[in-house]
Amino acid sequence: MEFLLNPYYLQMAMFIIINAILGLSMYLTMSTGQLSLGAAGFMSIGAYVSALLTMKAGLPLYLAVPIGGAAACLLAAVIGLPTTRLRGIYLAIATLGFGEVVRVVILNLKVTNGALGLSGIPSMSIMMSKAFIAMGLGDGLGPLSVRQLGNLSVIVILALLLVGLILFSVRLNNSRLGRAFAAIKADEYAAEVSGIDTRYYKLLAFFMGAFVAGIAGGLAAHITFFIGPKDFAYHRAVEILLFAVLGGSDTVWGPLVGSFILTLLPEALRFATEYRSMIYGAILVLMMAFRPQGLISEETIRYWRTKLLAKKAVQQEEISGGTN
Amino acid sequence: MKQGMMKKLTAGLMAVSMAVMIGGCGGTDKAPAKSSGAAKMGVISYLTGAGAAYGESIRQGLELARDEINAKGKVKIELVFEDSKGEKNEAINAANKLIHKDNVLAIMGPTLSSEMFAIGPMVNQEGVPIMGTSLTVEGITEIGDYVFRNSLPESAAIPQSIKRAKAKYNLKKVAIMYSDNNDLAVSGYKTIQQTLKEEGIEVLGVETFADKNTDFSAQLTKIATLKPDAVMVAGLYQEAALILKKARELGINVPVVGNNGFNSPQLIKSAGAAADGAVVASPWFPGKDDPKVKKFIADYKAKYNKEPDQFAAQAYDALQIMAIALEKSGSNTDRKKLREQLAAVKDYDGVTGKFAFDAKRNPAMDVNVLVVKDGKFTELK
Repeated sequence: MEFLLNPYYLQMAMFIIINAILGLSMYLTMSTGQLSLGAAGFMSIGAYVSALLTMKAGLPLYLAVPIGGAAACLLAAVIGLPTTRLRGIYLAIATLGFGEVVRVVILNLKVTNGALGLSGIPSMSIMMSKAFIAMGLGDGLGPLSVRQLGNLSVIVILALLLVGLILFSVRLNNSRLGRAFAAIKADEYAAEVSGIDTRYYKLLAFFMGAFVAGIAGGLAAHITFFIGPKDFAYHRAVEILLFAVLGGSDTVWGPLVGSFILTLLPEALRFATEYRSMIYGAILVLMMAFRPQGLISEETIRYWRTKLLAKKAVQQEEISGGTN
Repeated sequence: MKQGMMKKLTAGLMAVSMAVMIGGCGGTDKAPAKSSGAAKMGVISYLTGAGAAYGESIRQGLELARDEINAKGKVKIELVFEDSKGEKNEAINAANKLIHKDNVLAIMGPTLSSEMFAIGPMVNQEGVPIMGTSLTVEGITEIGDYVFRNSLPESAAIPQSIKRAKAKYNLKKVAIMYSDNNDLAVSGYKTIQQTLKEEGIEVLGVETFADKNTDFSAQLTKIATLKPDAVMVAGLYQEAALILKKARELGINVPVVGNNGFNSPQLIKSAGAAADGAVVASPWFPGKDDPKVKKFIADYKAKYNKEPDQFAAQAYDALQIMAIALEKSGSNTDRKKLREQLAAVKDYDGVTGKFAFDAKRNPAMDVNVLVVKDGKFTELK
């Protein structure tokens, strides 16, 4: 228990959940076969809008973060209307360019404090701690100190949000919408001929991805005290793309596994000091060489499902065989 | 057949990566460690990535100081290095690991101001003293009572160089150039503007550029037509060197007053003869006629086979200051006492000059204003 409550691990858990949400945002857009590299840009919009709202306008977090997401969505409309007509690599380049434009605009605005970034953003865990103190739990609850309570409650909130998003994505897969997404991903022309309004569905997926990325950005801003334009440069866009590429973008679980591994790996490799980045890179190369489709593909899930089902069937047979 | 192999390989790879992860997560020891009788100091530094040269200098300066302090034997210091890659999230993880897993007494670093803004509030809340050795923007020590720095803020350095340059060159009207996508340069630009206003120097024009730009002819041609008495530049040495070269090429032969970015031997190396007339305020002056400075340079050269730069010198002094406070606090585990003693440090005579913390835990120290003359930094008198 002591081990799990270490703030070092709690902080890592927060980063993992935020990155998992970003991975999901990548998955949502990719489920229509669109390769968008705009996640970092949308994330920065969400982060800056919600941070400015809590800092300058004093809005509560539960309002500021969704507004940040909505702002990202709004911008997705501006960029999405012309660019979702693009395909494959062209969309990737356009969205990457969009991310850079957002970064440069943030760099030059007064309200975002330019290159100096926004510091002193209210922290979610401190807010929660204060709420607990107001509730009369200033001395903590049982073995937990009030700071641990604050951290834990943040993780619970983030985890609930993530679970909600996962449920949404899974449910989406089996809905009319999800089927349309899958059809577009498999073959856009065939989908269009079959009467699917591809432009509408592609835009919708793009918006959903942007909204989720904006939410993730708003949350990230409120657990790190500081945001600057450097945090959302193209390397961030590539990092988010990696979640989906490494984990696999066929299923919801792929980007989740990818973000989990890619967030933990650099921390786990800390013992290797200077060799850390090298080992990290080598692992990525190996993964791509042996699993170009990503760690988790539909076959992987089918394979394990049949295997587990087979085992269950065998067990049941044994049980029923025993009674005979 | 091939499919089966693939599956096995994948499973193997996943197993290996999982094992690495679990291995990396193991082992927690509670309560500040004092097994070897040494005080454990964490260091967060930019050791890999684009700015690794800064982090490496800092690491070397710290190691040199540690070896000297331990050889003297009054206090024993153990350094635990963590890489931040110059990224905020990495720095947060590093700080959390140092505080909650390694249970360090205090933290040196991080290298970048943006990293300090991200970790400072958390470290301060935990009551761990943290001292930046390379942070020059405004608002660092305002984060909290446990946040210190021994590096001179630009807001203290730039006014000195402008004042000295004004006295020497009789400046009346100047032009300004700064990198608008660099936090240091933007902060420096603000200080330049304010100082010029206070000194009653007229600003003829302001031109901006961006980090990694290579062509400055448009901005400098404009400046050349304004005929300023001097050009103020805020940027990093890479761009500063190119600006100096182009300016001299366009016949702008007036002094160029720079921010801390000018404070690198690399500036002279890259700009060559064009660097002559560049003015910068620096706490570190390797040409100083002081036995302490000479010994530091000799020791550093003997150990690392290169000249120490400003970052190494400041890191070296920072750990020496830490050691003084540690000795006075008389404890290898009491963070609060260490903070009190740190705040009380004064009259330390280091390689970057006489040092004391002011009431806001910023350094109160002498500044050398340097000018490049015949390819060398010399004091501007």
